[in-house]
Amino acid sequence: MSVRRIVFKVVSAVAVMVAAASVTFFAQLAVPGDRATTLMNLQTGQDREWTAEELAPLNERFGFKDPILVQYLHYVGGLFRGDLGTSYTQKRPVTEVIGGQLLPSLTLTVAALAVAWVLALAGTLLTVRRGRVLSSLGAAWEALTASLPHYWVGVVLLVVFSVQLRVFPIIGGTSAWGSVLPVLTLAIPLAGFLGQVTRDEFEQVLQQPFVTTARTRGMSDFGVRLRHVLRHAVLPAITLSGWALGALVAGAVIAENIFGRPGIGQVLVTAVNTRDVPTVSGIVLVVAAIYVVANLLVDLAYAVVDPRLAAGGTR
Amino acid sequence: MTRRNRVALATVAVLASGSLAACGGAAAEAGGEPQTGGTIIYGHVQEPPCIFGGWIQQAYISRQVLDGLVTLADDGSVQPWLATKWTVSSDGLRYTFTLKDGVKFTDGTPVDAEAVAWNFDLWENKKGNSTAKVSIDPYYKSATAVDATHVQIDLNKPFPLFLTLITQGYFGIQSPTAYKGRSEQENCEKPIGSGGFTVKEWKHGQEVVLAKNPAYNSWPATAKHQGPAIVDEVRWKFVADGVARYASLSTGESHVVYEVPTVNWKDAQSRYQTIRYITPGKPVSFFINTKAGPFTDKLVRQAFAYGADRKAAVEAGFHGVIPYEGNPAVSQATPGYNAEVAKAYAYDPAKAEQLLDQAGWARGANGIRAKDGTPLTIKLVYGAGFIFTQEGATVLQVLQEQWKKVGFDVKLIPATQAEQWGGKYSDPSTFDATPSYWTSPSPSILWIVWRPSLPDSPNGSNRSFYNNDTLSTVIQQANSEPDTAKANALYGQAQQIIQDDAAGVGLYTQNSTYAVARNLKDFWLEKSQGEPVFSDAYFTK
Repeated sequence: MSVRRIVFKVVSAVAVMVAAASVTFFAQLAVPGDRATTLMNLQTGQDREWTAEELAPLNERFGFKDPILVQYLHYVGGLFRGDLGTSYTQKRPVTEVIGGQLLPSLTLTVAALAVAWVLALAGTLLTVRRGRVLSSLGAAWEALTASLPHYWVGVVLLVVFSVQLRVFPIIGGTSAWGSVLPVLTLAIPLAGFLGQVTRDEFEQVLQQPFVTTARTRGMSDFGVRLRHVLRHAVLPAITLSGWALGALVAGAVIAENIFGRPGIGQVLVTAVNTRDVPTVSGIVLVVAAIYVVANLLVDLAYAVVDPRLAAGGTR
Repeated sequence: MTRRNRVALATVAVLASGSLAACGGAAAEAGGEPQTGGTIIYGHVQEPPCIFGGWIQQAYISRQVLDGLVTLADDGSVQPWLATKWTVSSDGLRYTFTLKDGVKFTDGTPVDAEAVAWNFDLWENKKGNSTAKVSIDPYYKSATAVDATHVQIDLNKPFPLFLTLITQGYFGIQSPTAYKGRSEQENCEKPIGSGGFTVKEWKHGQEVVLAKNPAYNSWPATAKHQGPAIVDEVRWKFVADGVARYASLSTGESHVVYEVPTVNWKDAQSRYQTIRYITPGKPVSFFINTKAGPFTDKLVRQAFAYGADRKAAVEAGFHGVIPYEGNPAVSQATPGYNAEVAKAYAYDPAKAEQLLDQAGWARGANGIRAKDGTPLTIKLVYGAGFIFTQEGATVLQVLQEQWKKVGFDVKLIPATQAEQWGGKYSDPSTFDATPSYWTSPSPSILWIVWRPSLPDSPNGSNRSFYNNDTLSTVIQQANSEPDTAKANALYGQAQQIIQDDAAGVGLYTQNSTYAVARNLKDFWLEKSQGEPVFSDAYFTK
């Protein structure tokens, strides 16, 4: 890649992130309800109106009554200094709130994506066009798992592997052993989804002339599938992986909830519920960054899998 | 996800009872030899933003770290804690507490009269704890240190329940030195008290690790043993999912769990020690908007109360675990509870129809009643997922069907926490009925909730917008009445007024349910609002 292209990529990535944080910032201000009231209710466990006098200290402290533009500039200015603000509810810097939860979330989602790929590829290589029964079984399995809700998968895994078989812990925290079930909870439906996409492509590619050519060269069936067909068939799934990674980070909250695991999904839900604007914006910023990085990786992966793109990319 | 939830719970129930049959010998291990040390793993639900604060979730955990001046015994009497004794002046205005000698905060500073007075000032005058404040407003006047071990609290008017109210966890005494000398974040995460435990570490999103305070010497008179905590640590874990939380007991990953799913309650009773605590204070009952909409007419409010079989719906929805509460003002666990009041408005659809006819609401073609062209639509706003569990929402759906039969078109409006706490439904135009609860160990909760909202002293907690001068006078008389029997008669009268006017409609009691492993003894809940106590608990072998 040329320097210009890299600079362009970096600048656009930063722009995407600032835009994401800005949109989130304004979207949250647009939600009906007063932030100071929410904070007071959160501190007291009530749902009532408060007098202006009671709300004044909070309004003053967080500048809720400042003009929106002032609040926004203050926020964006902070972003460029690496300051995401202070959580309204936890009284800690947002960087710290997110920092503590980011690694468990990334581990969970990256592992889930990797496992999903392994499952999807295994399913594709082993079942597509392997006789009617095996093919249908594979396709049915993918259709079934792709449509399974995470909550259901998580609870079934929990009941089978934690309660009945006692293999994995229920409240596993961030330990490797304790991460197995949360990872599978996210990976199984995703594997079904990736598998479906790959399967269609795989079936079509298997009928291409170059596959026949490869076979006539005496290549083994598995070799053909792995070296030639798969290369073509995985491209759509790779594209989707960039999206999947971002979606998983934010959507991991269900797995986190079931298995008592920390993570930014959980923090995001709480922060949205409590109108903790800096925390919500901060998390959106991080998720946006993950999307950006993931899409960059997708571009690179494309180049590796499809040499035509690599050649074109150097232009 | 709603239905899935229930299916999943049922799955666990079935599978769990299956494994019970497989290992029936487990019960035999009860009553073994007491052990010292060990770590109790506690499965809680909600993670509070700070350890200390005015939300009950915060009182639960700050109770482990902070001691109070006095505590409430199971018989409802107030017992010594940091204060060994106290005197009340004959006019009922001055309370003088004598503090236990030689008690130190875990930062080494003394728990003296100065510190206690400073804490009262913090809650009441410096926004330190709004629930502590509202509990003793407007009776509290000032707190003064007389000497090192005597603290004096003056009231504006006699308020005998003052002592009962300060037994709540919101009144936990913190070290002024630590509070003033540390950052807000440190005070939020690791408040310094003189309690049986200290906050060792807060792994956000996961758990709070509480470590035994080895120098503990200020246990309450109600403690089950004398001395520091017997276990070394309590790991207070946040496991939001009910299926996982309950299942973690069966695998030995936890020893105590909070909020046992009601479908699992019978199973829990057969396998573990169980505790069901009915919370005193305002039960889960509907506030009825008396200021705007169809409920401005008392007859319509009464018809609403008669129009659905609330008792049957609650018993079915919660599998018989959570009791129905017909008294909208205070729950059956509250001192001064008027049981007669609770019997009013038993399900009577004919009576409901008659009242609606009388009020001029006639049946329309679709079965929904209308008056002057306006349909009888009721906006029922409920906090989904935080005030109302899924089971609670099911109860509302059952009631909705029954109300429809008598001609109410009830719209169930689930409100998110952000909406409800952000004030989206505070205005009288936004709702007609909304259920909520407020825990309190005393019937003086009536004053907090039903005090008239006046221009110079608005009362945001009066969500029925119900201003009744007679009611206000009766409650104030009750609050200042020194004779308990007379006070309770007055509180009973207040409950009667609210019920007669149908300014609220009863539903069910707010409960805390716990399941405890059989090898853990002397885990208990204190009386004022069911805060769990771990400092007496020990394992048996």
